[in-house]
Amino acid sequence: MLLGEVNTHIPDGLMDPVVVGLGWAIALPFIALAVYKLNKKVDERMVPFMAILAAGIFVAQMLNFPVGGGTTGHLVGAALAVILLGLYGGILVLTTILVIQCLVFGDGGLTALGLNLLNMAVIAPLVSYGVLRLLKKHQSLAVPLAAWASVFLAALACGLLLALSYTISGGDFGIVASVSIPAMAGWHAIIAIGEALITTGVVVFISRVAPEMLEMGKNQEVKEAVV
Amino acid sequence: MNWKSYGKATAVILVLFAIGLVGYFAFSAAFPDGLEKVMEDNHVEEAEQVWTAPLSYGENWAGALIAGLIGFALTFLLVFLYLKGMRSRQKA
Repeated sequence: MLLGEVNTHIPDGLMDPVVVGLGWAIALPFIALAVYKLNKKVDERMVPFMAILAAGIFVAQMLNFPVGGGTTGHLVGAALAVILLGLYGGILVLTTILVIQCLVFGDGGLTALGLNLLNMAVIAPLVSYGVLRLLKKHQSLAVPLAAWASVFLAALACGLLLALSYTISGGDFGIVASVSIPAMAGWHAIIAIGEALITTGVVVFISRVAPEMLEMGKNQEVKEAVV
Repeated sequence: MNWKSYGKATAVILVLFAIGLVGYFAFSAAFPDGLEKVMEDNHVEEAEQVWTAPLSYGENWAGALIAGLIGFALTFLLVFLYLKGMRSRQKA
């Protein structure tokens, strides 16, 4: 398969229409909340930084890496965005990237965009944020675990949605739970290690060369963890 | 950070991307990602897509580089202009 044919996100026609609707119904309120919160207070310093980070994550997502077994994975970047920009900034950045990937490059189906937003722009940033908060007292683990868990749980959610689609549609859509959940979880447990390594590497690098960037995301505890 | 620093950061990201694409085409381009693998293993055919996008990610290094540059610029502009507009409304 060549890169031009790659569709790395959920395509149209894979999930049951009810599940597709569910994706939009859950994702949109979270995105609206993120926009509302950012509207209330955007730090001037964050504007170009957020834009460059978003653009950087866009190109990083194009670079799949091999994980063995004839499979590849790519960075999602949710943990990195949350660490550097905070939860709402992370949600906005991932949303923008996914919309451009779908509308301009055909990566992910248009009807399935709600599900892709739910998994990668809502669940992944929320998981990252939760792990970072939870591991405040175990800071050296916070960054890699947040990155790993964000990809693993977003993929697990995708596996559950595939299973739900299969059940609702009587097998017309999705994949049976006994296959979809272990397969998605298994592959992405490995892919997520790549996410953890890349995210930790970038955060450590930034903490050395431009530690003020970590302050912008108001995640001082993360900066302390890696410096 | 000032604009010079942002310019440097942009240059570094794009150079790393150009180099990363070499590795991508050498080691990954022929293989599916996690979701595609699960679909392939379960013989799930991809249905016709509702929306036909104007661009693709490119089928070779140069094409992918151009796609990446376009995506980088579009993402940067969209986020930058949106946040600038938001910031202007806050000041007003």
